[in-house]
This record gives sequence, C-alpha cells and structure tokens, in this order.
Amino acid sequence: MDEEEQTKLIDLLRELVVRLLSQNPQDTTNPNFQNSFRYALRILSSRLTPSIAPDAAAIAESIKRRLATQGNSSDALTFSDLFTKFSSKTGPGSVNNKWAVLYLLKIISDDRKSVKNVISSSNLLPNLGLNESELSNGSRVLNGKEDKKMSWRNNGVLLVNKDPENLRDVAFREYVNLVKEENEVSEEVLVRDVLYCCQGIDGKYAKFDATVDGYVLSDLVKVPRATRVMVRKLCELGWLFRKVKSYISESMDRFPAEDVGTVGQAFCAALQDELTEYYKLLAVLEAQAMNPIPLVSESANSGNYLSLRRLSVWFAEPMVKMRLMAVLVDKCKVLRGGAMAGAIHLHAQHGDQLVHEFMKRLLRRVCSPLFEMVRSWVLEGELEDIYAEFFVVGQPVKAESLWREGYRLHSGMLPSFISQSLAQRILRTGKSINFLRVCCDDRGWADAGMEAATAAGTTTRRGGLGYGETDALESLVIEAAKRIDKHLLDVIYNRYKFKEHCLAIKRYLLLGQGDFVQYLMDIVGPELSEPANTISSFKLAGLLETAIRSSNAQYDDPDILDRLRVKLMPHGTGDRGWDVFSLEYDARVPLDTLFTESVMARYLRIFNFLWKLRRVEHALIGAWKTMKPNCITSHSFTKLQHAVKLQLLSTLRRCQVLWNEMNHFVTNLQYYIMFEVLEVSWSHFSNEMEAAKDLDDLLAAHEKYLHSIFEKSLLGERSQSLYKSLFVLFDLILRFRSHADRLYEGIHELQARTMESSLSSRDKNKSSRQKNDKYTEPGSWLSDGRKAVTQRAGEFLRNMEQELDALAKEYTSLLEGFLAQLPVQQHVDLKFLLFRLDFTEFYSRLHPIV
Amino acid sequence: MDPEAARTARESLDLAFHMSNILDTGLDRHTLSVLIALCDLGVNPEALSAVVKELQRERSPSTPMPTPTSSMP
Repeated sequence: MDEEEQTKLIDLLRELVVRLLSQNPQDTTNPNFQNSFRYALRILSSRLTPSIAPDAAAIAESIKRRLATQGNSSDALTFSDLFTKFSSKTGPGSVNNKWAVLYLLKIISDDRKSVKNVISSSNLLPNLGLNESELSNGSRVLNGKEDKKMSWRNNGVLLVNKDPENLRDVAFREYVNLVKEENEVSEEVLVRDVLYCCQGIDGKYAKFDATVDGYVLSDLVKVPRATRVMVRKLCELGWLFRKVKSYISESMDRFPAEDVGTVGQAFCAALQDELTEYYKLLAVLEAQAMNPIPLVSESANSGNYLSLRRLSVWFAEPMVKMRLMAVLVDKCKVLRGGAMAGAIHLHAQHGDQLVHEFMKRLLRRVCSPLFEMVRSWVLEGELEDIYAEFFVVGQPVKAESLWREGYRLHSGMLPSFISQSLAQRILRTGKSINFLRVCCDDRGWADAGMEAATAAGTTTRRGGLGYGETDALESLVIEAAKRIDKHLLDVIYNRYKFKEHCLAIKRYLLLGQGDFVQYLMDIVGPELSEPANTISSFKLAGLLETAIRSSNAQYDDPDILDRLRVKLMPHGTGDRGWDVFSLEYDARVPLDTLFTESVMARYLRIFNFLWKLRRVEHALIGAWKTMKPNCITSHSFTKLQHAVKLQLLSTLRRCQVLWNEMNHFVTNLQYYIMFEVLEVSWSHFSNEMEAAKDLDDLLAAHEKYLHSIFEKSLLGERSQSLYKSLFVLFDLILRFRSHADRLYEGIHELQARTMESSLSSRDKNKSSRQKNDKYTEPGSWLSDGRKAVTQRAGEFLRNMEQELDALAKEYTSLLEGFLAQLPVQQHVDLKFLLFRLDFTEFYSRLHPIV
Repeated sequence: MDPEAARTARESLDLAFHMSNILDTGLDRHTLSVLIALCDLGVNPEALSAVVKELQRERSPSTPMPTPTSSMP
C-alpha cells in the first residue's frame, strides 16, 4: 500500500467511524472517537486476508438461498435481480471488489440478526459474552469490545475489574489468544487439504513428504500438535490410495508387454471398482465441505460443517478397506494366477463382517477367471491358460505319455480354497477328457460332461461358478469325474479290450499257454543254439508263426496274434541265441499308456526268466528221454565184462540220481512260479480291474500286478543274489545235460561196438540208433580190438563218473546256498517255495544248520 | 471523472444500497459508499464488517433509539 492509498484509507476510515458514531465530523478530539478510531484501525490491520475465496456469484447465491429459506422469496428474487444488474456494471466508475461488497453486506446483515438475539442478555450481563458462538469464534474483536465496554463503563457506573468473575474473563481471554496464535490456518482449509490428499493430490498446507513417506502439514504452518497428528492420521488414507492407485496403473501399463495374467487383470478391475466407490464418497464429502458456511459469524456451528473430526468418522470405513487393499497390493505384487487368488483368500478369513463381505466381493471378481478355467477344463478338457496361471500345467508330449506326463499340478498356483484331493480330481478329469480325445479318438465324453453339469445343477455356460461356491465346484467336479472316468474305462475295456490284451500277455509273454510254449521251444531250440549274430529274426518270426498255428493259440483273436512279435535283444560276442531271444507284445495307442516301454521292459525281464526256466525244464526232459532205462539197453550190457558192467551201472545210477534231484528242484520252482506267482497275481489283478474306478486305479492295479510277479519271481532288487545263484544253478543243469548226453553217446557207441559181432537183427537196431545220434563220432574205437574196447569203455566211464561227481558236488553246494538264502528273503511267498522244495525235510536233515 | 463513469458509480451505489436494504444491514447510503470505497482499496471485508458491527453496537447502548440513518430510504 503506498502512501497515497494509506492516507485515503485513513480518511475513509475516519469518515466511517464518524458516520457510524453519528458524531459531528469536527469533533474528532472526542476521546470516545479517538478510541473507536484506533480500535477500528487495529481490527483492520489484524485481518489481512479474507477466509473465503473471492467469488461474488457464490456469495450472492448463498445470500439468495438464505433469503429464500427465511420465507422472503420475493426478497430473494429482487436480490438476485439486483445482483445481476450490479455484477453487470463494469468499466470505470464501477465497483471493483464486487465480491467484497457483497460479502460485507452479508456479514453485517448476519451480525445484526445475531446481535438482535443476544442484545438483551449482553446488556444485563456485560462481563462476558458467554454464548458459545462468540467463544468459538474467539477473535480479538471480542476482547477489544469487552475492553471498550469496560473502559466505557468506567464512567462511574461500576468497576467490573474487581469482580471475581473477571478472573475467568482473563483466563478465557488468554485461552482465546492462545488458540488464535496457534491456529494460523482455519480448520476448514485443512479439511479441504485433507480431502485433496486423500485423492493423492498435494493440498495447500498438507503435502507429500518423501522423507517421512506420508502426507504431513508443513512445519511452517502453525497449528496445534493435536491437529497436526489428526491431519497426519487422516492423510494415511491418501498414502494408501497412492499405493493402490500406483499398483493398478503399473500393472495396466505393463499389461500388453508383460503377462499380468487374467487373474491379475481381474484383481486390478476389482480394485478399480472399489476406488470408484471411494471417489464417490470423496465427491460427496467435498460437496459437503464446500457448502457455504458463514465463517466469521457466531452461527458457525451449523450442521453440515465438515470438521476434521467428522472427517475422521467418515473415513473410518474407507480406511479399513483401503488398508486391506494396500496390504493385498503389497502381497500380490510378485504373485500371479492361482497363487494370487490364494494369497487374497488368506485375507478373507476375517471375523469382521465388513472385511469379510469386502473380501468376498473382491475374491468373486478375482477368482472368476480361475473358476472359468476349472470349468472348461473339467467339462471340455480345454486348458485356456495363456498366462500360466492355472494349477494344471500341460506339456507337449507324445500320445503314449500323455496320461503320465502330459499334465501335472502346479502346487504354487493352487489356491488354498481348493483342496489337494479336489485338485487331483480336477486334474484327472481334464486329463481323462484329453486322453479320450487325443489317444482314444473318442467323442462320447462331451455328453458325459453335459450330463455331469446338469446333475451337479450348474450350467455349462461360462461364469456359472464363483468364489465361495466351492461346494458347487466340488460336486460339479465329482459328477464330471465320475462320468468321464466311467466312460474312459468303458472305452478302454470294451473298445480297446484291455483285459483281453492283459490275458494275451499273460498267456504268451508269461508263458501261460503251455502247448504253445512247448511247440515254440521244440522248433526254435536248434536255431537258438547257434551264436547270436548268425540268427535271423525273420526265420524266428516264421517259427513263431508255425508254433502258433500248431498250438491252440491259433484259435485266438487274430488282432492279438498280430501283435505278438519276436524280438532279438542287442547281443555281445559269444552270446547264444538263447540269450537274445524274446517275445514282444505290441500294445499300440492308447493301451501303450498302460503298457509303457518301462512296463514292457519288465515284462521282457519276466519273460527271459521264465524262458530260461522253461529251457532248463525242457533240457531236463530231453535228458530224461535219452536216459530212460529200457530192456533193450540193459539187455545189451549183459555181454560186457563184469567190472565194466558194474562201473557202467554205477555211473548210470549216479546220473539218474543227479537228474532226479535237479528235476525235483526245477519242477517245484516251475510249479511255484506258475501257480503261486503268476496265477495268484493274475487273480488279484482281475479283481482290482473290476473294482477300478478310473484310469489311475487301473494303472495302480497293473503296477501292483507286475510288482508282485517281479518280487515273487526273485527278479526284484532285494533278491539279486538269489537270482544270480539261481542262474548259476540253471547253467549247471544245462551243463549236466550235455554231460549226460555225452555219457549216453559213449554208452551207445560202446553198445554198437559190442554188437558188431552179434546178430544181423541187432545190426539193424544199431544202425537206426546211430542215425538218431547226430553227435556221435564213429571211428574212434573201430580199429581197436575187443580188449581195447573194454579198456577204453572203463576209462571213459571212470572219467564220466568223476565229472558227474564233481557236477553233483557243485550242484549240492549251490543248491545249499540257494536254499540257505531263501528264508532270508522278506517276501512271504518265498517261504512256500522253500517249504515245497524241502517238503520231506531231506535238505534240512542233510544240513541241520540250515 | 467523466460523466459516464460517474453515472455507473452512482447506479452501482444505488444497486448496492438496494441490496443492503433487502438484507437489512442498517447502513445509510453514505456509510455504504465509504465502505465500498474501502473495499475497492482492498480492505478485508471481514475486518470491515467487524468494525461496523463493533461501532454500531457501541453506540446502541448509549442511544437506545434507532439510528436515524437506518430509517432513511
């Protein structure tokens, strides 16, 4: 203000005071006038800025509304008319500060009304204006007035200074001064600031402070500590809001580039909706705060005044929600998909009804993509999961491993409101559908899915399920699983004849079809004695065909016989045909899911074992054929020398005993394998096959079947040593067979030599026998005389007997070892084998230690 | 001051005086004009109103009868 204006202002003010006091303008020396003038100056200098925004139209509107509410509608109309005219006056000579004039009029008018109301009381009790409005206003004006009044009354009426109540007056004054000093900013401005802050915008005084990480009133503003704390508390909402908002915008910005995921998007959308609600509330509050409230006048305690305290009440509920959201945002920053839903679900377990409802609403939105995935997976087998959010993960695999490896549960993505068993069921149902579709080329599952949906009472539409309906989901899944599993098993049993194939495998690979095995052994035997690298698999395939045709197997289903193949395993040097030959069963899609390569490899091992056992048995039977004592042979020996004859007989006896022992072992082992192992396991398996409810059950049953065969046939891990000693035994038996053959060749040769001089009828007999013996080497003894023949025979028999003795000794010790190991095995069935082998307690008596 | 401006000023004062009467402020025309001038000088209207109120109230106990200015048209 420059000097000229200053003097002008002084003059005007003096004029005003004079006018108001209705005194003679010349009488400016009157102390009363001087006092009033100084007082007026003080008032003016104490209030430099108005507390409201300079908006003429708003003030006029407020005046008009009040006139109207007081019943003076005609006044209101006139006033608005006048105001329009007044505000249209522009240019030189018009009033510049129109809003100030209006505001002035309004306040004066208000003041007059209130003065009228209190005037009588203040006249009678001049000590203190105790009405609340004056107190709450608490300005110096009051004090000034009181001072004036006092001094003015001092003219001799009474002295109030001595009044004891004046102490109270002083105290009040001090308090009011204090309040005034502290409150540099009016509360209403603070409220507006807080409202701004809560939208994440800096207010005039309350600003975001990065160091404190929150909205605070700047230190320069002078307000009481309580107000500061309160503002700080209220602005927490703003801080939370910023957090949530930034999360939403961040994930939305990131969306096309990175995969936020459908669940993440749903979460953002739900948060956004909550924020919209919040905005609505803020808008309402702001409108309420903007309501024109008289600010200086004593009627300030009107109803819609929005104080900080009221604000704190209004903010109580949004604060809870916003806090929750902020916590969720914090939690979910790194999570996605099912994991995110699970994390949010953990927060939904809350006793507070408000929180519970809020979380439920949020979760319904968040989980809807997830439930949709479950629905389409269970009913249609579709894996609509481009962001890898579902708890079922698919992998591109070959058809045969689709069931085992194609899909798996991703436990990280499994939200906790879906139990593990339910998840397994969900996984299996979808897997079954995919299995049917891909491997079985079947379309019947669609009806099953539809049926399941109607049975569970839900629609097959999208979005039929939601969070909180876990029971409905479970029943849907159970219904679907039941039907689809049943359908799948039907397809496997009926269309793909699983049972028949299992039986075929048992008959051919596990050598259950005796006549077939016998024929096969007979015709491939000579071929397999050749070295492995000279064997042609085509020839073997032809032989297999012959074996099938000549046995009862020929009446089997041609489809099954088609699948039976010869397989030669990779062979090393020195392997015989016996070592590499095996049969193979081609399972084909979709049964290769059940008969996987590893399963077939185990079948192959069982086959090899059984084949070896059969071969040993076959060899023993072959030996028996040559060893069989008959009258022809025994008769021919009568002509031998006594000593030689005795030796021959003892050797033969040795051989027979040893054979018998071996035969006992092999027969019993064979019996055990066939009846105690294969048939029993098969019977269990058949029962379980009937009871199986889904493919997993079936797989487990089959696995159990194989495992039991494996364990009981000494093929398992734990019976490795037993298995090895068994094979040594087998080899020994095969060696025995060749020895026995050589012995009998020698005997036949001897016989032939001794028969040379006998009857021509004998000749015939001998020549026919010679034809049979392919392995004889005639000529070694031919040139020698009878004596030499006898001598040689004796020598040969001695050698043979020694060898047989060694063989018998080795066999006994091996068998002993084998039998000793048997009880150590844990499998209970092996005890029966021991029992069977040692039925007469021959072995245990022989070696009581065992 | 040119006559146009003077006329505008007078009309403005008339309008303001009308409004003042409707609002029953008890101000006479002259006082109002002084107040308008003060407002134009940028004085805070709240302070002005306080001055008016205080001085009016100070006077009212000493002169119980209504001021002649308020009854003026």
